[in-house]
Amino acid sequence: MVLKNMKLAVVFIFCLFATVNAFAQAESGATAKQVVDKFQTELIAVMKNGKQLGYAGRYDKLYGPVSDSHDLTKIARIVVGKEWEKLSEAQQQKLTDVFARLSVASYAHNFKDYSGESFVFDSEEETTRGGVVVHSHFIIPDDKPVKFDYMLKEKGNSWRIINIIANGVSDLALKRSEYTTILQREGFDALIVKINEKIDNYSKL
Amino acid sequence: MNKPCSGNRNAKIQQIISVMLIGAAFFLGGCATTGVTEQQNSANKADPYEDLNRKVFVFNDTVDDYVAAPISDAYKWITPQFMQTGVFNFFTNLKNINVVINDVLQAKYAQSAHDTGRFALNTTLGLGGFVDVAKSVGLEQNDEDFEQTLAVWGVPQGSYLVIPFLGPSTVRGVPGAAFDTAANPVSYVGLPVQLISLLNTRANAEGALKFIDEAALDPYVFTRESFLQWRNNLATDGKSESSLELDNELGEDGANSSGKGGDTSADNKTAPALHENTGTK
Repeated sequence: MVLKNMKLAVVFIFCLFATVNAFAQAESGATAKQVVDKFQTELIAVMKNGKQLGYAGRYDKLYGPVSDSHDLTKIARIVVGKEWEKLSEAQQQKLTDVFARLSVASYAHNFKDYSGESFVFDSEEETTRGGVVVHSHFIIPDDKPVKFDYMLKEKGNSWRIINIIANGVSDLALKRSEYTTILQREGFDALIVKINEKIDNYSKL
Repeated sequence: MNKPCSGNRNAKIQQIISVMLIGAAFFLGGCATTGVTEQQNSANKADPYEDLNRKVFVFNDTVDDYVAAPISDAYKWITPQFMQTGVFNFFTNLKNINVVINDVLQAKYAQSAHDTGRFALNTTLGLGGFVDVAKSVGLEQNDEDFEQTLAVWGVPQGSYLVIPFLGPSTVRGVPGAAFDTAANPVSYVGLPVQLISLLNTRANAEGALKFIDEAALDPYVFTRESFLQWRNNLATDGKSESSLELDNELGEDGANSSGKGGDTSADNKTAPALHENTGTK
């Protein structure tokens, strides 16, 4: 009888532990794959309603999903490389703000409608520095699929996208070359003007 | 960060290069020597001739705006879509002779059988290559050229070069393009066909050029970076250690910001310049 009680108690404790454990996992935020999955699903959903939403509608719908899944502050810092340290705090804040708007604007512009596209998850790997790369591809009907590799880093208790590599072309690397070149050649104000021009163009195209 | 058509864009840029003429190689000897004195302003190790390259880039852009783009637009306007597709398929199919040669040179024997099958099928059932029947039976077009072969053989990429009329290349890309031109039947069939080939190439680059126009803050740097990364990706068949490179980039960032932002990735032991990763393989 005692034995039976003990067994029950063990089972009970085990169940409790399992629940707590599961709860803790849910608390600790989404995994890298979940973050990417969620974002891709939201993106496809916006594409499906893209025409009705119009540019402004897509922009509004995507603002949350993009800023929740991407670490835009960190990306903005990386793309200006060593120049970041030379910027004043006000400039850093300004860059972060316009960069966030540019990121959402380019999504709103480039994913404007839907013709059967979908994302497919391929695999996931950890990098040596504690990041995770989620490999996926974007299927476009009647066209070659585009490989999308997402690089994520942990931020707080969740994972955030910090780079997207499309068919081997790293967005972060591309932007960093552009932004540092402009900062060195033309200065901070010119960079902000150029980014604002792009945002403006996206809204009109 | 968000470019569903970047693959296309790059494919189109590649097509521009693939029509490069052998003569360009000789021209380039000249470029390379005049460029040596102009490297002071360059921030990029892969692009020591940036100042000269930028001038050629602007020149090419102007030529494109005033000559190539109008002709290409007219071609797209008067030619029915199925004809454009047929023309595209025809020239792509002819390139497969070169693809097979380079498969063999890179010791990719299984792939060379696949590509030979593709060429044979499209040339016969595909009516001389105008119809891409191979795709419908699962034989996808592979992308191989002599520049990739040189990369596989260990030839370094060399400096980035912008060639008048033809666009982005590298020191390794020039002999690569010369070989590819020699191995393409289009080079031997006379001017009208070559002109159509050029027109086809430009027309298919339309989407890519539009994308660059929309997305690039600095179109010159945008084109250079995407070109170099994309060529590196092709040469390594997508197996370049991109995640590692990324970590290095972040490591560099971590080192920069560790004093301020409390970044966790501050163990910056290598942090090579980005272009050592992308530029020279």
